[in-house]
Amino acid sequence: MLCRQTLNLTSRIINQNLIPIQFINSRNIKRWVSPTIKEINRRRKKVGPDPIKPRYSYLEWNYDVELYCFGKRVGETFKDNFLREALVQREYANVEEFRAEKEGNESYVPEESNTQLASEGHKIIYNYIGEVYLKSYPQDVTTAIQNYLTSDKLLGHVAKYLGLTDLVKSVEYPPETKTLADAFKAIVAALESSSGLERAQLFVKDFVIVQMNGKDVYDIWTPERPFDYLMKLLEEKGIKEVEPRLCNQSAVNTILANYQVGLYNKADKKLLGIGWGESVKIAKDTAALDAIQKIYCKHNSN
Amino acid sequence: MSNSHLFLKPAFITTPGQNGVGRYFCQLQRVVLKFCKNNGSSRGMREFIENKLIDFVKETPEVAVYMKPRRHRTPIIRAEYLNGDTQWVNARNFTEDEILKWLQLLKTQSSDKTGIRLRKLLHTDHPSVQGPWTPYTFRDPKLNLAEFPSPELAGPHVVETTATEELLEMYKNQQIEDVNEKRAE
Repeated sequence: MLCRQTLNLTSRIINQNLIPIQFINSRNIKRWVSPTIKEINRRRKKVGPDPIKPRYSYLEWNYDVELYCFGKRVGETFKDNFLREALVQREYANVEEFRAEKEGNESYVPEESNTQLASEGHKIIYNYIGEVYLKSYPQDVTTAIQNYLTSDKLLGHVAKYLGLTDLVKSVEYPPETKTLADAFKAIVAALESSSGLERAQLFVKDFVIVQMNGKDVYDIWTPERPFDYLMKLLEEKGIKEVEPRLCNQSAVNTILANYQVGLYNKADKKLLGIGWGESVKIAKDTAALDAIQKIYCKHNSN
Repeated sequence: MSNSHLFLKPAFITTPGQNGVGRYFCQLQRVVLKFCKNNGSSRGMREFIENKLIDFVKETPEVAVYMKPRRHRTPIIRAEYLNGDTQWVNARNFTEDEILKWLQLLKTQSSDKTGIRLRKLLHTDHPSVQGPWTPYTFRDPKLNLAEFPSPELAGPHVVETTATEELLEMYKNQQIEDVNEKRAE
C-alpha cells in the first residue's frame, strides 16, 4: 500500500519532466545529489499537497472493531444492525445501489440509510431538551435553545468529537457538517431502539445539553424589542408603569459616548434593571434585557 | 523554562468538546503498532505484543489497536486522536515496559502535545466575576445630586502644601521668632 502510494507520487513528479536530470558516472564527490533533491522538492511543491485520503482506505482498518470501540467509547450498548444503519448517509446508499445495478451485481443487498433514524433522533433530542429547559425557562427561551442545540453546526461538532468523521459512510470525505449531524441524531434513535428511551435521554444530556456549559442562555436567546417584551412581562406581574432614569453618562458628544440607564418601578421606586449603551435608546434596551433576566432568575429560584 | 523550550508553541490548557462535564470519554481513538518480525530494534515491541497487549486492550476497549508488521524498519507507535491529530512515537530499542508507559501517556492525552508548552497550569474563560471596571464603578453617590459648575469639584482632588510653601512658612516662623527674641532683649 505504502509502496504503491510512493510510486504514484514518484510517477506524478517524474511525469512533470520539465528539466532533464543529468547523471554523471564517476567515483568522486557526488555532485548530483543536492541538485537532484532540490529538483525533486521543487517539483513536489509544484504538484501540491497530497489529496486527503479517507481513513477506511488504509490497510489498517477494521470497521467492525471501530464500531465496537465506538460503543465502548460512549459507554453504551448498541444493537449492531441499528448502529450500522445509523452511520449510512442517504446519498451513499443511493450511489452504492446505483453502482451495483450498473455492474449487474444481483447479490447486492441495498443498505438502509439513516434518514428515518435521523428524523426519529431529532424528535428525541428536541423533546428532551424542551423537557429539561421548560422546568426553569419559559417557552420562548426553551424554543431558542432547542433550535440552537439541534442545529447542524453544534451537533456536527459533537459528532466530530465522538469520532464519527471516520465511521460515517458518506459520498464525500471529510463528511460535511450536515452528514455528521444526521449521523449523530440517528445514533440517538439507534440507542433508543437498542437500550430504551431513558438511556437515549441520558446520552443526549451527557453529549448535547452539556454543550451549554460555559455559555449564557441570554447570548443565545435575545428578544428583538427588549423594552416591549419587558412591558408585556411586567403587565402579567401587575406592574403597569416603568420609569427609565438616566443614571450616569460620560464622554457625551464624542465617539466614545456612554450612557447608563436604570429602569425603576414607578409604584415602589425599586430598580428593575440597569444597562449601558452608546446611546440612551440602546442603554434602555440593555436595561430591559437585564430586567428580563432578573425576572426569569427569580422565576427559576422559586 | 530552559533554552530548548523557547521555540515551543505556547498554549493554554483546554478540554475538547466539554469532555468530562457529562461523561468522560477517551480521546485516543486508535493506535497502530508498526514493527519488524525479526529485527532487533523491534524486540521490545514484539515482547509487548506477546505479553502485555491483551491486558492493555481489555483495560481500554475504547481504543482500536492495529498491528502492522513490516520488514527491517524501526518500530513505531502511531496514535490517532478524536480531534484529528496523529502522533508518531519512535519506539526503536524500547523495552516492553517503556512501550506500555508510552501507550498509557497517549491514552490519557487529549491531542498531540509535542512542541507545545503550557503558559499556565490553570485557565479560565472568565477571569473576573465582577466584570471590567467602568467609570461608574464605586462612583461617589453624592455626585448624582451635584450641580455644575461647582467650585469644590473644579479644583484638584488632593490639596497638599508644596515644598516651596512649606519653606516659606518656615522662613516666616523664623522671622517672627527673631523679632520676638529681639523684643525680649
